[in-house]
Amino acid sequence: MSMTGGGLQRKSKASDQIPSSSLADIAFLLLIFFMVTTVFRQEAERQIEWPEAAATQQIDEKRDNILYVWIERNGDVWINDRQIQMVEVAPIVGPAWVASGQRLIISLRTDAQTPYRFVDQIQEQLKAAGAVYVVFATDLERRMTGERR
Amino acid sequence: MAILSKKTKVSDEIPSASMADIAFLLLIFFLVTTVFPKDRGLRIVLPEQQEEVEVSQRNILHIHVMPGGNVVIRRGESPDESQITPRQVEDLWRVEVAQNPNLIAVVRTHPDAPHRLMVAVLDALQMAGAERISLQLLEV
Repeated sequence: MSMTGGGLQRKSKASDQIPSSSLADIAFLLLIFFMVTTVFRQEAERQIEWPEAAATQQIDEKRDNILYVWIERNGDVWINDRQIQMVEVAPIVGPAWVASGQRLIISLRTDAQTPYRFVDQIQEQLKAAGAVYVVFATDLERRMTGERR
Repeated sequence: MAILSKKTKVSDEIPSASMADIAFLLLIFFLVTTVFPKDRGLRIVLPEQQEEVEVSQRNILHIHVMPGGNVVIRRGESPDESQITPRQVEDLWRVEVAQNPNLIAVVRTHPDAPHRLMVAVLDALQMAGAERISLQLLEV
């Protein structure tokens, strides 16, 4: 701002520029602050043996819309770090399905050695809850290229 | 020694003014190159409850997954059965679907069969491009 035509103008010794030398320090401070305060949703990994499949696909869906259901070898079911009974699956999944706007994907993390009867019971529960999008969590199986067409 | 030493005008300090820039550069590099492990698996859409669809037996390929690891194949109403391995399902499906594009795979798994075998069959079917798959429990 130029003040013209007046004896009021004073010469100031203070610089009119914001000091930029500490800008990087401020940025780092913010960065570290957000790093420290961010909390990731974390679930304990259960010990399971992943089944392998060559047709394994990536699931492009927001993390919030994926519900992990763990089924252990002996038929124990875990959702959100809590062991539940098989009959409780539908009452838990039902509200989550509605809350997600019917987009919920159930990721069935089943041990490779689990007898199929438990997997079938889970599927019946999911059908009762209305959650129809299911992913059988698998590890990518790498076959010899010659075998694949 | 004192005679040989020359006065140099070059500063012996590493310039630290651009250190922050280097740090940011590294930061951005790692931000860009980090990949988080994504969820992956075999997708399937379950039928809705009470959604019964009448399908002609001609269009059904029965696949029974047995606990021992072999797979029993039966076509529609014909009583002929053949035993194959889960891997062979892939080639079989390609052959069968070429003859009948409306074919539906009905995978019935024995209650005692491990999940791994059902996944192997589902994998073979999906590798062969099958889309109409029904997963059921084998009644014994």
